Amino acid sequence: MAAASSSSYSVASSLSSLRFTSSRYLPSLTHYYLPSTPFPSLFSSPSPSRRSSYRPLTRRPTFSAKAASVDRKSVLIVNTNSGGHAVIGFYFAQQLLASGHDVTVLTVGDEGSDKMKKPPFTRFSELVSAGGKTLWGDPAKVAEIVSGVKFDVVFENNGKDLDTVKPVADWAKSSGVAQFLYISSAGIYKTSDEVPHVEGDLVKEDASHVGVEKYIAELSFSSFAIFRPQYMIGSGNNKDCEEWFFDRIVRDRPVPLPGSGMQLTNISHVRDLSSMLSLAVENSIAANGKIFNCVSDRAVTFNGLAKLCAKAADRELKLVHYDPKSVGVDARKAFPFRNMHFYAEPRAAKEVLGWTGTTNLPEDLKERFQEYVEIGRDKKDLKFDVDDKILESLKVEVTA
Amino acid sequence: MGFPRPILDPPGLPAPRSTRPTRTSCLSDFLPGVCSCAQSAVKPSGTLSPSNLDSMEIDGNGGGRRMSIYLKGRLVMRCVGGPTPETPSLVLILFCKERLDLTLRLCGAKDKEKTETKKRILHLKGDRKDFEFVKTSLAAEGFDVVYDINGREADEVKPILDALPKLEQFIYCSSAGVYLKSELLPHFETDAVDPKSRHKGKLETESSLDSRGVNWTSLRPVYIYGPLNYNPVEEWFFHRLKAGRPIPIPNSGIQITQLGHVKDLARAFVTVLGNPKASKQVYNISGSKYVTFDGLARACAKAAGFPEPEIVHYNPKEFDFGKKKAFPFRDQHFFASIEKAQRELGWTPEFGLVDGLADSYNLDFGRGTFRKAADFSTDDIILGKSFVLQT
Repeated sequence: MAAASSSSYSVASSLSSLRFTSSRYLPSLTHYYLPSTPFPSLFSSPSPSRRSSYRPLTRRPTFSAKAASVDRKSVLIVNTNSGGHAVIGFYFAQQLLASGHDVTVLTVGDEGSDKMKKPPFTRFSELVSAGGKTLWGDPAKVAEIVSGVKFDVVFENNGKDLDTVKPVADWAKSSGVAQFLYISSAGIYKTSDEVPHVEGDLVKEDASHVGVEKYIAELSFSSFAIFRPQYMIGSGNNKDCEEWFFDRIVRDRPVPLPGSGMQLTNISHVRDLSSMLSLAVENSIAANGKIFNCVSDRAVTFNGLAKLCAKAADRELKLVHYDPKSVGVDARKAFPFRNMHFYAEPRAAKEVLGWTGTTNLPEDLKERFQEYVEIGRDKKDLKFDVDDKILESLKVEVTA
Repeated sequence: MGFPRPILDPPGLPAPRSTRPTRTSCLSDFLPGVCSCAQSAVKPSGTLSPSNLDSMEIDGNGGGRRMSIYLKGRLVMRCVGGPTPETPSLVLILFCKERLDLTLRLCGAKDKEKTETKKRILHLKGDRKDFEFVKTSLAAEGFDVVYDINGREADEVKPILDALPKLEQFIYCSSAGVYLKSELLPHFETDAVDPKSRHKGKLETESSLDSRGVNWTSLRPVYIYGPLNYNPVEEWFFHRLKAGRPIPIPNSGIQITQLGHVKDLARAFVTVLGNPKASKQVYNISGSKYVTFDGLARACAKAAGFPEPEIVHYNPKEFDFGKKKAFPFRDQHFFASIEKAQRELGWTPEFGLVDGLADSYNLDFGRGTFRKAADFSTDDIILGKSFVLQT
């Protein structure tokens, strides 16, 4: 009954046998999981509570200050310079710094490039103030860039394919990095009638991330772990998520959703992803060889997300459903999320790391909307060409 | 499910307990997944007569561990305890007598085992709405633990609790139907419940148990399936597959539901018995994964060895089905997380969807047995219409 059962997670040499078997639930293995209420940060600025009504633009997410009992580690984050994942490296760096670790962030490309003019890169000074190091360059030349610094942990949050990741992984192995963490994608799971995607489920073998996962597994790091995220929200996000809904809602435009709007997706606050990564660093033995769905523990429907955004904006919602094929639009261009159930659950993180999720979409979206207004995006002049095409074909009037 | 009209056994001499076999083979011999709790010594006692007729079944074996089970007619409980010469174990099987026969046959029980098993079950016939009868019968036996599998209203538990002041545990079969509909899923035990739901009686029962200070445990299943299912869940699909008919599914077919095999549910019921962790707790109990309506149709076909079915989507608002139900599931997402039970009780479902449906088909529906005869009248209304939603 209650588990004195032996661990069902053995480190396998190839990923295909890396199964998260839920045949027996293990009791929580760790006492280190981060509490959901933030402790005062190490910075001098006041730490706002999550429920405050006004947030300064440069507010920082706060993380619990760990006691000196935490083993100080030297962490290198190789970060992408754009896209939905970019913000993960930023949050994770902040969290590690708050916990007393040494952090270096290597961002792909040039410090002066246009890409650095978007968040989270615009806030990298916060990392420096917290004692972190920020570098730029080509990850293939990582050895030269970090010039001989020894790292305990490398977090690869950049490459989608083996060509990009291999140089970093090889260097990490040869320079004696103890723990290698890789951000993959929950998009590699094979679609199924049964949901959710659970660690160990079949993946699309030709997906480029899969090749990377397998390669890392075979390098025999003392500890390695794979993280498969979906969509995320949070201050400093590089790619639109909830903004797509706010753009339409504040302008009193209809929100066009493909299909029935019943499709489930997972929208996590990036702090949940960051806390999962931190737990893996602090429990490198338990985390070793594991795959973690890096998502919150609730899914939301498209309809539900639209409703929550409208509620957060305190505005009326006009929902319109359409069939992309009949209208003649590519749903991928018309809508920010995959037009299907895309739903993974963080079962491994809960069971193996004792992780708990804190994403609270109704509350989190309120904060996101506040920032949306603070930066003046509600007043921005935007084009809605694809929307107009959809609405035209449905003969829906846009009264705005 | 209604009970037959109350037929109280004429009072007579009970079979002396000493003549009951003290050494019996247990169903644990051939039922998998036995929970080994609740061994007990047999003492002659009791004044109730065993019965051969249907309605409620209560296991009235004497001894330190006696259980009373109100019958739901579909739940198969595993054998509790293992046999020893001195202490035959209790057998908890919940269903009407004819299903007992069928179940025993399904489990491959030999005739001798069947007879012996049946002897260990004490039947109490009657109507549980007859509160006086319930109270008197139970008080006479003095049970330690009650499993209430079919209670729907809070007033139904009162006579049980009145009859058994020293009750050690009241284990209740509630329903995930109590959760308030939400866009954020899955349902967790901490989620808001809907005081206006069709299952509000279950909620009221849970509250009433709590307020009486009883040591209670409540399990909330989602959709139950498995051999002997009286609710046309999988049966509805199997009828259409066997008839080679298309499967009409309302709206998009991507609504997500969740099925839990009855044997897994039964194991959960046994797991909470005498478990201090389960005291005053609710647990969602169902399968580990969820499935779309379209996916369920395909899974039933796969499980039963039929080719992939033709699925026809339709808008239910365009039809008038009268009082008939055109589809056995609620037209919405409906699923719950079972991680609390997994984490706290060490229970986990053994059946996946396809192998669970195969179990149901191979042991029951695939043998030509069914509870509700096939009725394709609503299908014909849907299929007869000239316009139906394309997938």
